[in-house]
Amino acid sequence: MRRRILIFSCLMAGASIVLTAVLIYMAVYRNFAGLLRREIATESDLIAAAVELSGHDYLKSLEANPPAVRITLIDAEGTVLFDSGWDPSGMENHLDRPEVRSALETGVGEDARFSRTISRQTFYRAQRLGDGRVLRVAVTTDSIFASLLGLALLTALIASGVFVSAAVIGTGVTRRIVEPINRINLDRPEESPAYDEIAPLLSRMKKQNEIISAQIDEIRQRQIEFRAITDNMREGLLLLDCDARVLSCNKNALRLLQSNADDPVGKNALALNRSETFSRAVERALAGIPSEELTTPGERYLQIFANPVRDVDVVCGAVLVLLDVTEREDRERLRREFTANVSHELKTPLTAISGYAEIIANEVARHEDIPRFAGCIYAEAQRLITLVGDIMTLSRLDEGGVRTPREPVDLGHLVECAIQRTRAAAAKRGIEVAFSGGSAEINGIIRVIEEAVANVLDNAVKYNVDGGSVSIALAEKNGEITLEITDTGVGIPASEQGRIFERFYRADRSRGGAEGGTGLGLSIAKHAMKLHGGRIEVKSDGKHGSTVTLTFPAA
Amino acid sequence: MMREGYRKRLETLHTELIRMGALCEEAIASAAKGLLDEKPEYREKAIRLEKEIDGFEHDIEAFCVKLLLREQPVAGDLRQITSAHKIVTDMERIGDQAADIAEISAFMVGSPVKSDIHIAEMANATIKMLSDSVDSFVAGDLEKALGVIESDDIVDELFHRVKGELLASISNDPSLGEDCLDLLMIAKYLERIGDHATNIAEWVVYSITGERKGFHDLPGGG
Repeated sequence: MRRRILIFSCLMAGASIVLTAVLIYMAVYRNFAGLLRREIATESDLIAAAVELSGHDYLKSLEANPPAVRITLIDAEGTVLFDSGWDPSGMENHLDRPEVRSALETGVGEDARFSRTISRQTFYRAQRLGDGRVLRVAVTTDSIFASLLGLALLTALIASGVFVSAAVIGTGVTRRIVEPINRINLDRPEESPAYDEIAPLLSRMKKQNEIISAQIDEIRQRQIEFRAITDNMREGLLLLDCDARVLSCNKNALRLLQSNADDPVGKNALALNRSETFSRAVERALAGIPSEELTTPGERYLQIFANPVRDVDVVCGAVLVLLDVTEREDRERLRREFTANVSHELKTPLTAISGYAEIIANEVARHEDIPRFAGCIYAEAQRLITLVGDIMTLSRLDEGGVRTPREPVDLGHLVECAIQRTRAAAAKRGIEVAFSGGSAEINGIIRVIEEAVANVLDNAVKYNVDGGSVSIALAEKNGEITLEITDTGVGIPASEQGRIFERFYRADRSRGGAEGGTGLGLSIAKHAMKLHGGRIEVKSDGKHGSTVTLTFPAA
Repeated sequence: MMREGYRKRLETLHTELIRMGALCEEAIASAAKGLLDEKPEYREKAIRLEKEIDGFEHDIEAFCVKLLLREQPVAGDLRQITSAHKIVTDMERIGDQAADIAEISAFMVGSPVKSDIHIAEMANATIKMLSDSVDSFVAGDLEKALGVIESDDIVDELFHRVKGELLASISNDPSLGEDCLDLLMIAKYLERIGDHATNIAEWVVYSITGERKGFHDLPGGG
């Protein structure tokens, strides 16, 4: 802007100087030319009078004393009779000269002509004398152009002087004009005093500044919210651009992908995880195909949902949601195992029953064997009934709500009853069951607790050594009631202790059938405890017996 | 001001190398599973991956040469491209050796030898080395690269141990001789893969620091 103002003012100054000089000179020259004409007219009148008076003598006298003007005498035919500057014999006919012709016709003629170059100009005045001859007086001066040329240097000098001062003054003035504009604080335009002319601009700027900062605040706020949401969600979230570079990524995504990248944004997704399944999901999503992959980085199961992000029809990125499905996969595995186990456990007694029944039906069996076979069928059927009963109990517990109302249960009494029921089996193997006594009341469903205690006690007897012992202790402390059942059996190896509560799981698979268990007892006990807000724990060194502790919250 | 297209091409090179590295990891893991779990689909996978890795080597090499000619990179970029050019060679060898292991393990199905030998440990150590070297490349992690170079000794040690065990096994039961020799080959391949992983780590160190570590023990192919 300053440059433009400067150039403009200099040009203005220069142009006005030149224009003024030319105009002034033209006016002056016009004046001067008029003056010259009048002078030449007077002079030619005088000379004409002199010529009329003294004729050729006067002209002769001029030769000795040449005048400042050129005098020419021409006859009516145009032949030059005399010339004060030239030899008349060498001169051409002058009849076609405008001033001569005009003088012959009207008595007086004037003309101004440039000489061979335009630098000089000659003023002519012709006058008809009484005898029909024509007297012409001519004055040659510098032409207007020549005088202008002479002036040009001076004009240029003045113009350049003006130019320089215009530049200097212009710079200063421009600086003074522009300075307040430069001093405007763009962040707070309203506070800077400047010209009224730009006040609307400043107020507009102020408004726009406010809008922009409000928008930035809002965006920042949204970003914080987004981050808070994504960082706190359980799933991993990953946004990629069309070149598979990470645009956004939450903490859980990094954790699930087992990446320890510090700043994943801007990196290629493959830098976070380069497993085959992950890169396939990314590749497909960026090709526009949504996909779902299950992968196992390390111990965990990871489900990846990859979806393309489209702008109109072009894929411009991808969104990946990562889900830790380890628990689901584990449950699924348990369920599959359970189904397989149930079928197996149900099939074994049925095969036996079917076999014995077939023998009897085909009359292959001897008559005296039939009672024994019937006994076997009965035993197997009993086992089936127990098994189905257990499964039903479990599925009832699974549903979480045996909706039976709770009632006060005396645990001491319940334990004594349970001991009564196992006494026979224990006595058969010489196992001593001792209860330290006591009583504690809890709120619960008596049938369910009975089942839990009975199952644990059964195991304590079943997996004991012959002549071993089972001791039961009931205690109440810290608002909890604990029932400890300790046996002197074979114990449970540490590696198995986590799994014995799984359905159909037996610490020693080779034994299960012999003791007639269903493999569901501890599972039932665990569910029963869960239903009462309690827990079941097992402790064993894996060699000499084990202690199962049932813990109930006090009533 | 960085040329945008050039920047992008360097990024592509990096991504392609990660891809190739991932394939190598996959190949050696599959080969190990094929050997230890005796599942034929893993062996087939390792052999299939080898072909894919070869394709990658060819493409990345051509890409490197093109980058060198067209962009005339200097300093760090030049190092990055030259080391990428070398890394693909090592990766290609790893792919070959994984396929070789898969081929040999086809003859070893049901062989009782491997249960007594520390071959699983060796495979795991090798896989970890390769994984770490690719990791160090991906993240430009100098520490990790140096760690890989050091851990080469572990694999070498395991190799000698396996060799000793195989020797003992042959003298105990000469009928197992063939299986033992096969297993020795596999152990040797694993040890070679460890060397290649070390090379990769060395190139990573070079591309970061500009210093070439350990000229010793360059693979002559195998």
